[in-house]
Amino acid sequence: MAEDMKKYLKQLLLRVDNLLCILITDRDGVPILKAVNDKCPELAMRPNFLTTFAMATDQSSKLGQGRNKTIICMYSSYQVIQMNKLPLILNFVATADCNTGHILSLENLIEPLLGELKGAVIES
Amino acid sequence: MGCCWGSCKEDSASQGGDTNERTHLLVDPVSNNTPAQRANSDDFISRYPNSIPKKTDEQSALSRILQETATNVIDVAALDSHNLEQHEYKERSKQYQQRLLMQGSSQRWHLSAPSLLIDIPMPEKVLAAPPLSYADMDMISLLVQNANFALEELKVEHREDLVVPFRIP
Repeated sequence: MAEDMKKYLKQLLLRVDNLLCILITDRDGVPILKAVNDKCPELAMRPNFLTTFAMATDQSSKLGQGRNKTIICMYSSYQVIQMNKLPLILNFVATADCNTGHILSLENLIEPLLGELKGAVIES
Repeated sequence: MGCCWGSCKEDSASQGGDTNERTHLLVDPVSNNTPAQRANSDDFISRYPNSIPKKTDEQSALSRILQETATNVIDVAALDSHNLEQHEYKERSKQYQQRLLMQGSSQRWHLSAPSLLIDIPMPEKVLAAPPLSYADMDMISLLVQNANFALEELKVEHREDLVVPFRIP
């Protein structure tokens, strides 16, 4: 079951060129499921980097423009896309030249997976 | 005599409700109202001993306002206050892995192949399938021919001028 999910995530990772990692974590940055490419930078997968999103999304939801759903960060060599699926967070790390729209379109394909994973987190 | 009269006059005035230079402008709120109020609240408490006292109501309302304000404030200073300990992180990660392994699901996780060309397990079977009958092929080619003729016959019949001169003064 878990292996199936991992394989599925890996397939999704291979679908988008230059996508380096798909990481599903809880709001404290603890990974639940991940598919990682060798080229993915280690720093982008650290919990203290990932947890900042949980707080940023909470705070930016107070700006009067509704609930924050996705934050896209562009760096000089990488891009990090994080989606608010609380209690889960969906993290994508890709190179800067990766097609951001393609990454965003993966959301629909990952959505059914999240329903299963939420069960593991809510109990804690 | 005059003094006596004066005091009598004052009494009668205060009783009658007339105002003069000796009447108090401010009525004493403590002596006038408090006993009555106390009696009232005592009555209330004795009548409804289980009802929540008013003070806690106020307190809870205040704390609710405080809570709402706290949730609405964008607090940048508190952003990096919470971090997991290393062992806690590892423990939780392990816990998640175990739960995932335990969790059973009927759903199969697989992606539909993105390419149109798919491997066929037994090509002989497909290749040995009976071919399309000549009647069917004739019908298909006839229908396509008809559709083609119909498309060629399609003409635009113009009734009005394509270029319309505007009457510019």
